[in-house]
Amino acid sequence: MTHPDFLWRNPDPKPAYDVVIVGGGGHGLATAYYLAKNHGLTNVAVLERGWLAGGNMARNTTIIRSNYLWDESAAIYEHSLKLWEGLSDELDYDLQFSQRGVLNLAHNLGDVREGRRRVNANRLNGVDAEWLDADEVKKFCPIINVSDRARYPVMGATLQRRGGIAKHDHVAWALARQADAYGVDLIQGCEVTGFEITGGRVTAVETSRGRIAAGKVALAAAGHTSVLAERAGIRLPLQSHPLQALVSELLEPVLDCVVMSNAVHVYVSQAHKGELVMGAGIDAYNSYGQRGGVHVIEAQMAAALELFPIFSRARVLRTWAGIVDVSPDASPIIGPTPVDGLYINAGWGTGGFKATPGSGWVYAHTLAHERPHPLAEPFALDRFTTGALIDEHGAAAVAH
Amino acid sequence: MTYDLVVIGGGPAGVAGALTAARAGLRVALVDSGARLGGQYFRHSAVPGAEPGLGRFLRQGRALGERADVLLRHQAWSAAREPDGTLVVHCVTRSSSAPGGGAGERTVAVRARRLLIATGAYDRPLPFPGWDLPGVLTAGGAQALLKGSGVVAGRRIVVSGTGPFLLPVACGLAGAGARVLGVFEAGVGLGLVRQPLLALDKAGEAVRYAVGLARHRVPYRTRQAVVAAHGEREVEAVTVARLDKAWNVLATRVVECDTVAAGYGFVPQIELGTQLGCETRHDVDGSPVLSVDAAQRTTVPGVWAAGEPTGVGGWRLSELEGRIAGLAIVAGHGTAPRTAPAPSTDAAAGPRGDLTTARAPAPGGDPAAAAGRPGEQEMPGEPEVPGELEMPGELEMPGEPGEPGVPVVPGVLVRRRARWRAFGEALQRAYPVEPGWQGWLRDDTLVCRCEEVPLARVREAQDLGATDARSVKLLARPGMGWCQGRICGYAVSCLAGEPPRPPRRPIAQPVTLGALSESGEASDRAPADDPPPHPNPRRSS
Repeated sequence: MTHPDFLWRNPDPKPAYDVVIVGGGGHGLATAYYLAKNHGLTNVAVLERGWLAGGNMARNTTIIRSNYLWDESAAIYEHSLKLWEGLSDELDYDLQFSQRGVLNLAHNLGDVREGRRRVNANRLNGVDAEWLDADEVKKFCPIINVSDRARYPVMGATLQRRGGIAKHDHVAWALARQADAYGVDLIQGCEVTGFEITGGRVTAVETSRGRIAAGKVALAAAGHTSVLAERAGIRLPLQSHPLQALVSELLEPVLDCVVMSNAVHVYVSQAHKGELVMGAGIDAYNSYGQRGGVHVIEAQMAAALELFPIFSRARVLRTWAGIVDVSPDASPIIGPTPVDGLYINAGWGTGGFKATPGSGWVYAHTLAHERPHPLAEPFALDRFTTGALIDEHGAAAVAH
Repeated sequence: MTYDLVVIGGGPAGVAGALTAARAGLRVALVDSGARLGGQYFRHSAVPGAEPGLGRFLRQGRALGERADVLLRHQAWSAAREPDGTLVVHCVTRSSSAPGGGAGERTVAVRARRLLIATGAYDRPLPFPGWDLPGVLTAGGAQALLKGSGVVAGRRIVVSGTGPFLLPVACGLAGAGARVLGVFEAGVGLGLVRQPLLALDKAGEAVRYAVGLARHRVPYRTRQAVVAAHGEREVEAVTVARLDKAWNVLATRVVECDTVAAGYGFVPQIELGTQLGCETRHDVDGSPVLSVDAAQRTTVPGVWAAGEPTGVGGWRLSELEGRIAGLAIVAGHGTAPRTAPAPSTDAAAGPRGDLTTARAPAPGGDPAAAAGRPGEQEMPGEPEVPGELEMPGELEMPGEPGEPGVPVVPGVLVRRRARWRAFGEALQRAYPVEPGWQGWLRDDTLVCRCEEVPLARVREAQDLGATDARSVKLLARPGMGWCQGRICGYAVSCLAGEPPRPPRRPIAQPVTLGALSESGEASDRAPADDPPPHPNPRRSS
C-alpha cells in the first residue's frame, strides 16, 4: 500500500483567516505546510479553483535539480534540493524521490563553454556538478546517440548526481495531508474572483463561495497569477505559455537518469512505473489553454529521436500542457506587492516543481515575518525597476 | 491542396456522407483504419458474403471509390484546426514497402475545409472475475474476427451481456460452425415488443435471429449472465448466474466452454470531436456523445458528425445521418467555413431548430440538393426496404418549424431520422446496465487490465476520499495504461458512482514517437484532380 489511510478533510470556508493562500498546487500546499510547521500559523486556508494539485503540479515532468548559474538561484534551488532529500521522512509519505542524476547536454562549443562555466559556478556554491565529455556521456547513459554525424551532436554534458525525479501526486498529497493535520483548511472548487482592498491594504478575497476575510493574501497560482494580480490592480511582468509533455506506454527499464537538452528543447526520464516522460519547450504564443499545438511536440520529438533513436517505436499514450508563467529574466518573483498584505510567488516558469519545498519554505517565512526570507530577497518584484536581474535563461534548460 | 471534405470512418455513416458529398462534386477523402470499407456492421472478408444490406453497401463503396480518395489502413490519431481555418487530420498508415519492413509506419496529413466524424463505437465490456483470461473476447471482437477474417473465435462459445447485438453475434458464430452453448442476456431482453411501431419495423430481423438460434439449438436465456470465467491458462468454464432485476446473483451454475463473447453495449468514439472542442451531451444510457444540430453539425464550425458518435442507434440511423450530413455539407459548400464560434442561437435552436434550412441559397452546391429533390439524392439501390418511405403515420408527423428558406435536408429524411433515433433510444432504455454487476467482482478482480488495478485498489482509493473517477484514477491508476480508459473507463465511472465523462485524450489512438516526430513534415495527401482520375459528370465546370 503506497498511501496513508487518510488524506485530508474537505471543509467549507470559514468567514476569515489569518492567511489565505490562492492556489492549491505544490507551492501553495508547501507554503501552507511550512506556515504551520515552521511558524505556528494554522488559521490558514488554501483556496483552489479546481482540485488540489490539478494544475502544473499534475502536468510537469517532475525533474529536480539545483545546478543554476547565479548565486541567488543556486542558493534557493539548493535549499530546495536539501529539503527534498529529507522530505519523504519528514512528511511520512513515500515521495519516490530518486536521485538518479541529471544530464544537461551540450551540442555546440557555446554549450560546452556555458556548461563548463556552470559546473565551476555550481561547485563554488557547494552544488555538486561534474563535466562529462561525449564518451563519458555515452558511458553514463548508453542509449544516447553521441554520433558526431547527428543533427545535434553530443559534445559533453553537465551532470548533477543529486538531481532526479519524484512522484508529483505523492508530493502534493503528502503536503496536503500534513497541512490538513495542522488544521489548515484546503478548500477545493473555490475560485478567487476579486480582492477587497481598503486604504491600500487587502482585507478579503471575493470567491465563488463568498467573501473570505484575510489578514494576508498569498498568490501561488503559477500561470494564472498575472490574471489574479490584475484584479488587485497590479500589472506583473509575466507571460503565460503552454508547456507540453507526454508519456509513452510502459517499457522495461531503459533509462536510469534524467537527460535534458536546452538546444533540442527536450527532457526525458523514465518514471518508476516504466513510462517515458518527455517534456517539450514552451509553445511560443501566450495562452491559458491547458493544451498545446501538436506541431510543437512534433518538431521537438523529431529532435529527441535523434538523441534517442531507440525510442522511435515507443507509443505515446497521452500528451498534455500546463500553463507556465515566465518572467523576463527566467527567475521567480517572491515577496510583497504594492498592495499591503498581498504577496506574490510566481514566475517559476518551467522549473517550479523542483522548487516546491524551497519555495514554500521561503514564502511561508516571508508571510510570517512580513519581510522577505534572505533567500527570497534577490527575487523581489522591484528588481524589474532596479535592474538587478538574475538571468537564468541558460539554466532553465527550456528555451523561453 | 485541400479537400472540400474529409470523412473519418468508412462504415455506413461515413460512406453515405462521403458519397453524398462526392456525387455533388465536392473533392472528398475518406480515411479508415480497416483494410476494407464497412466499419463493424458491414465488416466483410475479401470475398464478401450475402448478408442483408451488404450488397447495397458495397455498391455505395464502389461508387465512392470512383468519385473520392478512399484511404484505407489509415488510422486517424489527431484532428486539429490550422491558423487559416483548414482542418488537418493526422493519420498513420503501415505500408509493407516502407523502410523497416512491415513495421514501418508512415504519417499522412489530410487537409480539408470540412470534416465529418463517423468513427463509430466500440464494445463496452464489464469486468468480471477471470475476464482477463485468454478466451474472453468482447462480443464485437468475436464478430469482427468472424466477419473480417473468417476466424471462428472458439469451439464451445458462450455469449453474454446485454442488448440485441448479442443475437447476430451468436447467430454468426453458430452459423460458422461453433457450438454456441447459450446466449445469456442479463436484461429482460426483447423489451422492444412493448414498442409496437418499432417492433413492427424490426420484427423481421428479430424473427430471423430467433429462427437462426433455434436452427442451431442455441438457448437464449434472459436475466442470466456470465459472472466469472475459470481456467488455468485459458478459459475452461464459466459461471452463469441467474439474476434479479438489478443484476444481483440469485443462483449459479458452471458451464464448460473455451470462449466467452461478452458485450454490454457500446462506447461512442468521440475523441477526435472533443479534441476539436465539440460540445458533448449524455445519451440516454449516459454515454458522452457529440452534440449535433438537425443538420448533423457539431458545435465547432466546419465539423459534422454522424452515426454512433452522436448516439448509438444502429446502421440505418448511421447511414441516414451520414446522408444528412453530406447534404448539409454540400449545401454549405461554396460559402466560406466560419472560423468564429457558431452564434449561440444555433445551439439554442436545438435539434428541431431552423438548421434544416440554409440561410442562403448554396451558390456552389448541388442545385438538386438545394432544391430539395430527395429523388435526386437517393443512394444506389435505395430504398431497398420496401415501403420504408411510406411508413404508416409518417405523413401525419408535424413539419419542421423554422424560418422560410431553402430546405437543405428533405423533410422525409429528417422524419425518418427522428424515427430511427427514437428506436435507438428505446433500445438503450430497453437494455440498461444495472448496478448489480459490481457484486460479481472479487477484491482481486482486475478492473483495469493495462495497469493491473484490482477492485480492492479502487475501493481503497474511495476509502481515501476519492469521490469521482478522476480521483480514483489518480490514486489507483485505472485507465492510465495502454487503452487510456477506453476499456475500463465505463466500469470505473460506475464504481465511482458517476456517469462517464467525455474523453480528454489529445491522441485518439496510441501513436509511436517516430510517427509523432514525422507528422510535422508529413506528406500531404492531396486530391489528385489534374486530371481527375474518375471524371465526375456532375461537377460543373
